[in-house]
Amino acid sequence: MEERTEEGKYSNLILSLKVFFSNRTAVAGMVIFLAYVVDAFIMQFDPRLLGVTNPNQFTYNFVNPVPQPPSSQYPLGTTYPGINLLQAILEAIRVDLGYSMLIVVGGAVIGAVVGILAAYVGGYLDELLMRFTDIFFSIPYLVLAIAVGFALGRSFTSMVIALIIVWWPIYARYTRSLTLSIKESVFVEAAKAAGASMVRIMFKHILPNTLPPVVVQISLDLGSVVGVFATLAFIGFIPNANTPELGYLASLGLNYVQSAPWTVIFPGLAITLFALSVNLMGDGLRDVIDPRRRS
Amino acid sequence: MERVKERAKVLEIKDLRVSFHTRRGVFKALRGVDLELYKGEVLGLAGESGSGKSTLGLAIMGLLPRNARVESGEVLLDGSKDVLKRLRDYGSRDVKFDPRKNEKLIKRLNKELREVRGRALAMVFQEPLTSLNPVLQVGYQIAEAVYYHDPMRLVRRAISRNRCTQADLRDLMTTLKTKGEEALIEEVEKRNLRGLEEQILSIWRRQDIHEAKKEKLILSLDKHKLDSKDRLGISIYLRGLQRVPVLGRLAKDALIKEGYRLAVEILTYLGIPHPEKVVRMYPHELSGGMRQRVVIGIAIVNNPEIVIMDEPTSALDVTIQAQILELVSSLKASSNRSFIFISHDLSVLAEVSDRIAIMYAGKIAEVGPVKVIFEEPQHPYTKMLMDAIPTMDKTELKAIPGSVPDMRSPPKGCSFSNRCPFVMPKCKEMEPPMVEVSEGHKVACFLVGERK
Amino acid sequence: MISIKLWVYVLRRILILIPTLIGLTLLVFVLVHIQGNNLILAEYINPRLTGQARELEIQRLTQEFHLDQPVYVQYFYWLGQVLTGNLGYTNTPIYSGPVTTAITLFLPNTVVLSLFAALLIWLIGIPLGVFSAVNRDSPADQGIRVFSFTLYSMPIYLIAIALILLLGVYLNVLPFSGEVSPQMVAGLSWFRDGISYPTHVLLIDAILHGDYAVAWNAFLHLIMPSLTLALAVMAGIIRILRASMLEVLEQDYIRLARVKGVPERVVNNLHARRNAMLPVVTSFGYTVAGLLGGVVVVESVFDFPGIGYWTTQALLNNDIGGIMASTLLFGIVLVLTTLILDLVYAVVDPRIRY
Repeated sequence: MEERTEEGKYSNLILSLKVFFSNRTAVAGMVIFLAYVVDAFIMQFDPRLLGVTNPNQFTYNFVNPVPQPPSSQYPLGTTYPGINLLQAILEAIRVDLGYSMLIVVGGAVIGAVVGILAAYVGGYLDELLMRFTDIFFSIPYLVLAIAVGFALGRSFTSMVIALIIVWWPIYARYTRSLTLSIKESVFVEAAKAAGASMVRIMFKHILPNTLPPVVVQISLDLGSVVGVFATLAFIGFIPNANTPELGYLASLGLNYVQSAPWTVIFPGLAITLFALSVNLMGDGLRDVIDPRRRS
Repeated sequence: MERVKERAKVLEIKDLRVSFHTRRGVFKALRGVDLELYKGEVLGLAGESGSGKSTLGLAIMGLLPRNARVESGEVLLDGSKDVLKRLRDYGSRDVKFDPRKNEKLIKRLNKELREVRGRALAMVFQEPLTSLNPVLQVGYQIAEAVYYHDPMRLVRRAISRNRCTQADLRDLMTTLKTKGEEALIEEVEKRNLRGLEEQILSIWRRQDIHEAKKEKLILSLDKHKLDSKDRLGISIYLRGLQRVPVLGRLAKDALIKEGYRLAVEILTYLGIPHPEKVVRMYPHELSGGMRQRVVIGIAIVNNPEIVIMDEPTSALDVTIQAQILELVSSLKASSNRSFIFISHDLSVLAEVSDRIAIMYAGKIAEVGPVKVIFEEPQHPYTKMLMDAIPTMDKTELKAIPGSVPDMRSPPKGCSFSNRCPFVMPKCKEMEPPMVEVSEGHKVACFLVGERK
Repeated sequence: MISIKLWVYVLRRILILIPTLIGLTLLVFVLVHIQGNNLILAEYINPRLTGQARELEIQRLTQEFHLDQPVYVQYFYWLGQVLTGNLGYTNTPIYSGPVTTAITLFLPNTVVLSLFAALLIWLIGIPLGVFSAVNRDSPADQGIRVFSFTLYSMPIYLIAIALILLLGVYLNVLPFSGEVSPQMVAGLSWFRDGISYPTHVLLIDAILHGDYAVAWNAFLHLIMPSLTLALAVMAGIIRILRASMLEVLEQDYIRLARVKGVPERVVNNLHARRNAMLPVVTSFGYTVAGLLGGVVVVESVFDFPGIGYWTTQALLNNDIGGIMASTLLFGIVLVLTTLILDLVYAVVDPRIRY
């Protein structure tokens, strides 16, 4: 890893963009990802563009609650009780995306602070912090999320907090190992020799160099988080949720899986497609950041 | 000097052209290399980085990467085996070069050459640590080389030792002392103890212990009998059952165990202390010099005709370097093996080579007996190299101005022309042919006239 | 191979474990307490008690756990209870009673499920990863890559549903609900209230009782859940193994092995694979965590009576005893498994033994 001078920065950026855009699958991933983001934004700010009045609630149809197969009226069919799948999925994307972003960024920030601190200060603090994170690693993430969420009351908010708690140790470890390797770099030694204070080194030198790999990791994790979030909702974490959410949506159709499989498949596909696109995009980003990697 | 011509040619390279197709362009690594290797000599191959010397070594072994295109030329082993035929047949065609197709051919080449590699041809790489598999014991890696080429040798050794008696050993000892090695071999044959002579002789030829100790060791050979598991394994092997899942494992274990004993003998020969302990160690537990000896051991264990050493001392410090060079000299002296010693360090080559070939920009610039090259270099490049060697009496460090041309578009004519102080207009137009200046001394330069 | 150095390493690793385990209990205790004292009571009170008996029990528990004392004191009394095997009561549809009994009833099933899934991963996943790398860029390799990439992106319940639809509904080859078909076990002496005796694993008990028809049925019911688990985990492993194998194949010692004349098959399976497996083993900690988490989902989708199913039931029924106990249990299992894997790694990689 090298420090970039001011003038070198732009040519580096252009080169990185070129490498990224030459990777067709990564670009495809990014396009799909952007489609999801656009949908989320529309749902957030002007849902009427897509014909939705209230994106925070399901629109039920108790007249005909039985799931209907895809048709011209309902392009993706309906699920129990009478929910238009296409509309519901579009609404749910915003919810899932929003919460997942919150979780990943929250976890990353907390984790990065802990990780960089531990690695840079070293010694007892490092040991202490690492033992602390180890505790969180000792429980499988799904179980931990269930336990924490349960303790905080079964709601969306507690799910988000629970998943942030599950996620930050991962970033702590990751940034710690990144920092450990950067710490040994020559330019850090040079900064120390020039008399920079510890805090200054941490913020001005180490942090910017951990950012690219961490950003890549965040983009990759988005896919996983959405999956975990939906899985938790699927197994029934939130009682009587009215809010559109992809996992919950899938669970609604579980009783009808044999007669109406689309009720479970389409929400699941929405998640899979998102994860796929994010993974492809993340891999493309990783190739840019670390050219030694050949996929 | 007539001797040189009478020696057998073990390797002949004719007009070899190899290029590398990379994302940044096509690099012409070898542009028409002609070279011979004679039996029992050490040929030093010198050149800067980028001269193509490593590529030449790899090409001889057929170890080229998939983006290497063999455009033309031959590598002939023992005058007959054309090592690179497959790749050349594809590479010389006038079609777009596809590395994936090349890779398939390389895979087939690997299958074909499996017999040859390790047997007739062996190679030693530059970095001994990465040459050895970190998760396998050193002794295993040596034993495995024999197991996959000549397992019967291991079987013979084990059985002969099992079968022999103290009386046999005494008689053989006497034969050896009074009548010499050949007689010993005959006697061993007569007594149907083939495999024993190797074990006796490797003790006898040791230089680090005195004769009384050697006798003692030889006479105790019969004490190392096989246990029942090994005997079972060997009989499984003799019945040809080694492909059967569980039984095959027993056979392999038995043979590899014998291979470990052989590894101990080889390591002793190469001067490693406590070889019985070393064979059970892992590469990272050994020092650089020891590792390189292990790698050399792997190379010579099957008595190959040709050993190619690619910068074997460059990764080692100077004192170890000296030891390895001494080793190579003694290896040369004690057998009829030929070595190709690739290095950028002329002083190293001076110590160990019989002949030296100087490479520049993918071609041989000059080749000849070591003394002649050092004392009467004819090619301007060679001359400047000799001048550049720091010695005690020089006060200035001389470098050769300019740099090696971009091998993606080598210049027309002589590739050294842009740096040569004696450059003539002819040099930029035509490539100089190789002419013989004196016995065994060839130069590719227009300055030099043909030998009368 | 086994030497003093190895034992020292093992000992060190076990010692490091202890603070982590303590921390684990602390974490669970904190979670229990976030909402106040009530949860301890809720966890340990026998749900079948009512009225006067219940009042007395509440008083007894308050005394025993010292619930009137500051929190940090309570921790030690609670921990003492846990260490002596008292983990409270669970109250869920599939089982109601002491937690420890629930564990003995459900854990064996989950163990069998996980082991079977691990076997599938070993038999299918590893060879696929090796094959994919060795035959780089071939159509088979590309197929494998697409396959594993898609699997990796699918949430685990979708894999389950897809398998159910494919194998269970359309092709109708495998059952996908429960441990066994109900009619097969109706009226069996060693199968009562949904629990089989003596090992509580239907498959094993059926074999022990000589009832091979039931055993076969139980085995068929085992396939889909473990296949789902295996596929979910396999995706990540194949990616790592392939990348690692490709890197290893570039190494000098592989070249040297070829130079020595080792046959290609041995080069791949012995020389290359042993080195390529190292990153896989290192990441196994995460893999097992994912496996254990997946167990929860898989068991509830397939109605397979194991610890995961019990956990979901506890969640849905607000059963504090079940949640806390299973969290502890999963935690201990994960920690132990990670330890075992670290030791495996030490055995496999001779460079680590110091």
